[in-house]
Amino acid sequence: MIFADAIFIIIVLVTLAGALMTVLSGSIIYALMGLVTTMFGIAGLYVYLNAPFLAMMQILIYVGAISVLIAFAIMLIGPLYKRPKEWSYPLKLIAAAVVALFSFFMFAKVMLKAQWAVLSKPFAISTKDIGRLLFDRLTFPFELISLLIVVAIIGAVMLSLYSRGEK
Amino acid sequence: MTGMGLYNNLNIYLFVGLALLACGILGVIYRRTLVSMLISIELIMNGAGLNLVAFNRFVAPENAYGMAFTLFIMGIAAAEAAIALAIIILILRRYRHVEGAKLKEMKD
Repeated sequence: MIFADAIFIIIVLVTLAGALMTVLSGSIIYALMGLVTTMFGIAGLYVYLNAPFLAMMQILIYVGAISVLIAFAIMLIGPLYKRPKEWSYPLKLIAAAVVALFSFFMFAKVMLKAQWAVLSKPFAISTKDIGRLLFDRLTFPFELISLLIVVAIIGAVMLSLYSRGEK
Repeated sequence: MTGMGLYNNLNIYLFVGLALLACGILGVIYRRTLVSMLISIELIMNGAGLNLVAFNRFVAPENAYGMAFTLFIMGIAAAEAAIALAIIILILRRYRHVEGAKLKEMKD
């Protein structure tokens, strides 16, 4: 139990460090590396939440697809060594920190005050149950997601085609 | 709580999701380029997915709606990243920069 707790604390710290690196680093590619670190940490948290299928999907989709997409965009927007640092002026940092800390403490107060009805049942949802739920009850939203992704692909292709045509 | 151990505590997962939300808000306001703002939005979406799975695990453990919604969030995030990056490349071709504060005009 102590060993599992230690691994859990390490995963939480890795997730938080990745999030801070994402928002505070001066270069975009370091921010992307921080995002990848955060994704791996969240995948570990999904494993601790008895959801190994979601951990797998997290690594496949976020680390495998979205991060590579963002890396391609970073490569397309020009050389990194010529760019200025990612930071805006420091007054904006103070304003952003005030907004972020305000929302953090407000939601933390709400969260600690609420009494969640935590059940003591064992949690035994397998991947088969998720699949049955997706194809029995949530069939219509599932198909809507696929339609959304098709529309997004066609939209991205059309955007790049039109911008090339008018140049 | 269900069982022993530090990881069987709902509030820890909620705090991690909340920290991701706060970091995402900080990044959206503070970062300079549009790509970094997109990365921060991905952080916020991940925090939301973590919250949904944690509530599914601790509050409603008999069905899997939270996990299904997290899968939907992943699909929506993929579509959103594709469209947003296409728009960013378009802005780069037209204005030669991708800085959010310099985009004053959104008309032709």
